[in-house]
Amino acid sequence: MLSRKSAWLWLVEKEWRELLVSRAWWVLLVLMGPLVGVSFIGAVRTYAEVSGLGGTAAGVGEALSPLVGVWAPTFSACELVAVFLLPFVAIRLMGGDRQSGALKIESQQGMSAFARVAAKAGVLAVGWIVASAAPLVAILLWKSYGGTLYAPELATIAIGHLLNAGLTIALAAAAASMTEHPSTAAVVTLSVTVGTWIVNFIAAVQGGIWEKVSSYTPTAMVAEFQHGLLRVDMVLIALALVMGGLALAAIWIRIGVALRRRVFESLALSALITIVVTACSLVSASWDLSENRMNSFSEGDEQALLQIHTPLRIEAHLAAEDPRRSDLERKALAKLRRVMPDVRVQYISATSTGLFEQTSPHYGEIWYEMAGRKEMSRVTTAEGVLETIYALAGVAAPAEDEESIFRGHPLAVPPNGAALVFYGIWPTVIIAVGVLLKRRST
Amino acid sequence: MTKSSNTSNNAAALLRIEGITKTFGHTRALSDVSFSIRPGEVLGLIGPNGAGKTTLFECLTGVLPADSGTISRSEKLIPLRDRSSFLFYLPDGITPWPAQSVRWMLDFIVGFFGGPASLRDDVIQRLDLRPLLNSPIGTLSKGQRKRALLAAGLLTPQPVLLADEPFDGLDLRQTREVAQALRTYAASGRTLFLSIHQITDAARVCDRFVLLSGGRVRGEGTVGELSAAASSKHTGESPNGLEEVFLALT
Repeated sequence: MLSRKSAWLWLVEKEWRELLVSRAWWVLLVLMGPLVGVSFIGAVRTYAEVSGLGGTAAGVGEALSPLVGVWAPTFSACELVAVFLLPFVAIRLMGGDRQSGALKIESQQGMSAFARVAAKAGVLAVGWIVASAAPLVAILLWKSYGGTLYAPELATIAIGHLLNAGLTIALAAAAASMTEHPSTAAVVTLSVTVGTWIVNFIAAVQGGIWEKVSSYTPTAMVAEFQHGLLRVDMVLIALALVMGGLALAAIWIRIGVALRRRVFESLALSALITIVVTACSLVSASWDLSENRMNSFSEGDEQALLQIHTPLRIEAHLAAEDPRRSDLERKALAKLRRVMPDVRVQYISATSTGLFEQTSPHYGEIWYEMAGRKEMSRVTTAEGVLETIYALAGVAAPAEDEESIFRGHPLAVPPNGAALVFYGIWPTVIIAVGVLLKRRST
Repeated sequence: MTKSSNTSNNAAALLRIEGITKTFGHTRALSDVSFSIRPGEVLGLIGPNGAGKTTLFECLTGVLPADSGTISRSEKLIPLRDRSSFLFYLPDGITPWPAQSVRWMLDFIVGFFGGPASLRDDVIQRLDLRPLLNSPIGTLSKGQRKRALLAAGLLTPQPVLLADEPFDGLDLRQTREVAQALRTYAASGRTLFLSIHQITDAARVCDRFVLLSGGRVRGEGTVGELSAAASSKHTGESPNGLEEVFLALT
């Protein structure tokens, strides 16, 4: 008898063959090129214009970073594909065995259900990496234009999108295993995705606990990675959710186990995942891998803030939908939390928009409290926040370091040849390879 | 069935199945099903449509959860997780891996289950699969698919093969050829348990029979044993042939 490892490799090979004959995967591959292309071409054109192409005033694009200007929009096509196309590929691979009857045969091998699900998930992940050749082509084109590349930030984006794809695969796997028909699984998968969007919307309107929850939705996670920020809590939570989704799928593909037991096991697993996710959310380590340090204060400011060990309390009288609040969060507080672990922020508002609170005497105030001393400011910029904190802590503000300021990589070159590559060559090559493989297999 | 016949069944049994019960909602599909499987025999599971034949196969192999019941070997219970070492169930009416070729499927079965690779060519020849080896499974006719899946079942390593309606979709000549092939593999030591609703087909290939009707076992034994049981039940003349026996006992 062959070893268990060999049997698993047989299964992996089988799943790979099933992926290769999946039309859904080939459609995903064909569409990935034009979708990445349209994003890349638009981004490069805008980047070139801001950099001075077409008579833009010199100096406008001086601090331009390819991360935000080119790669975030280019890779956003991957997010689109992961949300709207990848679930169907995953459901086809995960649920196909149940539809064809192969599940009844494979389940008699004695291999653990998780090993079987892992084989499928692994093949789907490889399938996603193959599809990711489209953004890789964009990177090569950018390099050929004379653009600069900063590998750590590109790697961070790629990791973010791989985790996002992993979440989609795990979700689709669980849905395909728990439902009888692929169409039901597709509805469930898309419903969960839409559900995360609703959470984001509620968070934007109501703030509070929803804000915390929404920061771990796939959309928010991808946004963080697209800014070059590698947060350990997000990586751990994404991995926990991926493993949880696959484990749930493994519970439900055991068709020979009584329904009641599977329900109990699912509930126990959900409780375990909740505990793990909550524990992971307490991890605060992160790395800003963007070249322009867009998620961090300057090194001088960080050194100065590290000298402050007293807990800091911030009370901001700003409504959830007030643009000043998002300014304060994005430009100052998110960076502050990365340097000062003991920062507690509390938002106070009577309404979600703040529109009718403007006349309130305290609306817009931001109170800082440190070791019994209090200071109030209404400034929401990073400089303003830091100034207040330095004053409160009695720490001298560092001198501005001209050397460390990111000067940007402007590139006034149009996206020559990109349209031909993404709209012509890419689909042609994919279709040709698909036809060739089909002929070889028959 | 009498206690003494049970004892003699147990003595020669490869596997002893006892008290298998399965309900779907308020419908009892199987009710306290008990019988034995002897080594190297071709055992036929006979019953009308809806008798519970497929449900019984799926419960035995753990593809479907049974409400109760046990399988034992030499008086030792076989836990559910270990049943895949003894039993392989070949379902009816499935088209697994429809885009893959028959050749690949046979290789996969041998590799994935650790089946006897040495038997591969013989199975292909006996079931006349050589012309179909490169055909995708999804393009095969019902009869062709049945033969290909039977080949897959015969290439699994478990000592007992449970095949659901192995002759369904086969013409007369193919039925005879497949029956001959099955008898050959049984003669070489493989135990076969075949669910068959066509009694004439069952009589052609099986050594012993389990009669199932309404989810209950109505009889177990050879045609002669079942005939004797039927005549004692009806205190009249002995029924002639398996069909008569079946009608008398169910």
